Amino acid sequence: MSEPEARGGALETADDIIVAQDVKKWFGRFQALRGVSTTIRRGEVVVVIGPSGSGKSTLIRCINRLERHDAGMIAVDGIELTDDIRDIHRIRSEIGMVFQSFNLFPHLTVQQNITLAPRNVRGVPKATADEKARELLERVGIPEQAAKYPAQLSGGQQQRVAIARALAMEPKIMLFDEPTSALDPEMIKEVLDVMAELAGTGMTMIVVTHEIGFAKAVADRVLFFDEGSIVEESPPDRFFTEPQNERSQRFLSQIL
Amino acid sequence: MSGRPLLPEEVPLVLEDARPVELAPPRPPATLGEWIRGNLFSSPFNTVLTVVAGVVIALGGYGVLRWIFVSADWQVVKANLRVFMIGRFPLEETWRIWASAYLAVFLAGLSVGVTGIGVRRTAAGAARWLILGGLVVYALIFLLDGLRVWVSIAAGAALLGIGIAVGRAGGRSLRIPLAIGWIASFLLVILLLRGFGGVPPRLWGGFVLNLVVAVVGISLSFPAGVLLALGRRSSLPVIRFFSIGVIEIVRGVPLVTLLIFGQFVLPLLLPSGVRLAPILRALVMITIFAAAYVAEIVRGGLQGIHHGQYEAARALGLPATRMMLLIILPQALRNTIPAMIGQFISLFKDTSLIAVLGLNDLLDVSRNAPRLEFSGDVKEALLAAALLFWIVAYSMSRWSQRLERRLGVGER
Repeated sequence: MSEPEARGGALETADDIIVAQDVKKWFGRFQALRGVSTTIRRGEVVVVIGPSGSGKSTLIRCINRLERHDAGMIAVDGIELTDDIRDIHRIRSEIGMVFQSFNLFPHLTVQQNITLAPRNVRGVPKATADEKARELLERVGIPEQAAKYPAQLSGGQQQRVAIARALAMEPKIMLFDEPTSALDPEMIKEVLDVMAELAGTGMTMIVVTHEIGFAKAVADRVLFFDEGSIVEESPPDRFFTEPQNERSQRFLSQIL
Repeated sequence: MSGRPLLPEEVPLVLEDARPVELAPPRPPATLGEWIRGNLFSSPFNTVLTVVAGVVIALGGYGVLRWIFVSADWQVVKANLRVFMIGRFPLEETWRIWASAYLAVFLAGLSVGVTGIGVRRTAAGAARWLILGGLVVYALIFLLDGLRVWVSIAAGAALLGIGIAVGRAGGRSLRIPLAIGWIASFLLVILLLRGFGGVPPRLWGGFVLNLVVAVVGISLSFPAGVLLALGRRSSLPVIRFFSIGVIEIVRGVPLVTLLIFGQFVLPLLLPSGVRLAPILRALVMITIFAAAYVAEIVRGGLQGIHHGQYEAARALGLPATRMMLLIILPQALRNTIPAMIGQFISLFKDTSLIAVLGLNDLLDVSRNAPRLEFSGDVKEALLAAALLFWIVAYSMSRWSQRLERRLGVGER
């Protein structure tokens, strides 16, 4: 992990993996994103926080096109997101996503959950995919659960399977949409540990979360969202000790 | 301990639960007398209900049993058995039907063996099977004449047994060959019935006709219904409106109307030169009818799938078709099994409506065949027909329950 530097506008360099320029998104008459611009560099870990409904989830869902942005520009690894379905598939297979509610496939075993996309999207042979799945389950600490169905696992184990499933596609970027919000308190740490380990390997990560401890320890940069805009953007040690913006001060005083 | 409730901080912190494991006190099994008193005569009102119901059941049961075993003349069934089963199918060609039946029985045995459905053995289950089997054998002894038929039936039973044994031995490795076998059997049966100077469809009849129409109707209406359900949710307006149109129009019209429409209007819609036999026209209409209902059942199943499943599949980069085939449909269809089997049972029973078109299905022959020699008394024939329908429909329903139990285990 490198120290964050001053952000150089939206100028794309080889180091920038995600570029968003003036991204706007409406749900009916509600404007969820009001012109968001930011740039994420390779290997950077960005934590996104803010009140609910502030647009933080919407932004990361636009990055892998689970939502279509209505205006502005998003480019991932040099490919601009348009309506071209082939570009969308290409970008999605570069980006792993972990959801608040896990969204594992309940009719498939843990092993099958992990090997499904490599086999069906990348055409990886079964033996290779199975071997990779074993490695990944080892890495997230539950190698003995491969043959079980998701419903037989605890929430923390399910979320770790979801992380392994996303990693099986060997993505360049991982998006986390409130990955610990649906977990019982005693299971949050096991998931955060896996995420911290992942950050240590140099993975580019965008994490929407309220886990301040995780943000302080792992993040290179904090984006604070309010009412569809990035209100403040700074390194975690500065953001959590001396927030500049009045709205971030209020938010922090409420959650800390 | 004092009577005052403890404050939270006073509650002792138990690190290790030292209490002995306590079992619920055993409840003595109720004797027959206790059960009768508890369930049938627990109150004056209940006693009156029990007595009245008992009298009604006794009188009705006596009448039915008396008619079955004393008054009824089952010779009409015996004399017409072949007609009931195969209608006007030529006698010298019946080997075609036997061969098809053997194929189906063998594949069914394989399926039972491979899936392991029906291996559960209990004393009560064994007793039930013994009683049922005894009744069937008793009925067959009365109905069947001649060594040839017995040998043919025994061969079928033996094939079923062999199929089950092979299926169990092969286990899951046989699943794909089995699926191919079922699909190939379709073509084989058609070839067996029609090929090599075979029998034209207008001579097909009896219960075999009901079975053929039901099997073909189910096999075609299922994929058609799934496609209609997906079409109804399509983002392409043409496909969506077409699907909605078919589903809503077909569901709003009685099946008999559709069948008659098929006989008189369908030929006008086909290009000149294409002629469909009446049986095929009936099949087309039955398939469309069932497909519309299947589509609504599938739609219900699709609505039960959480949108997170779609998002997870998309986020992994799965293209839409694979997402549907691998993620969405397997879950949606499993949830619809009870409703789906119900729809197929009703399709099977509805095949008797083709009698309206003058096709010689079981209902038609059991009403008309006896008239020639048995002075128009058809009660016994109709009852036998009803029993045949019931046996097949009830088997389907039992099979559906086992399937549900198997698919539900540990997976959700």
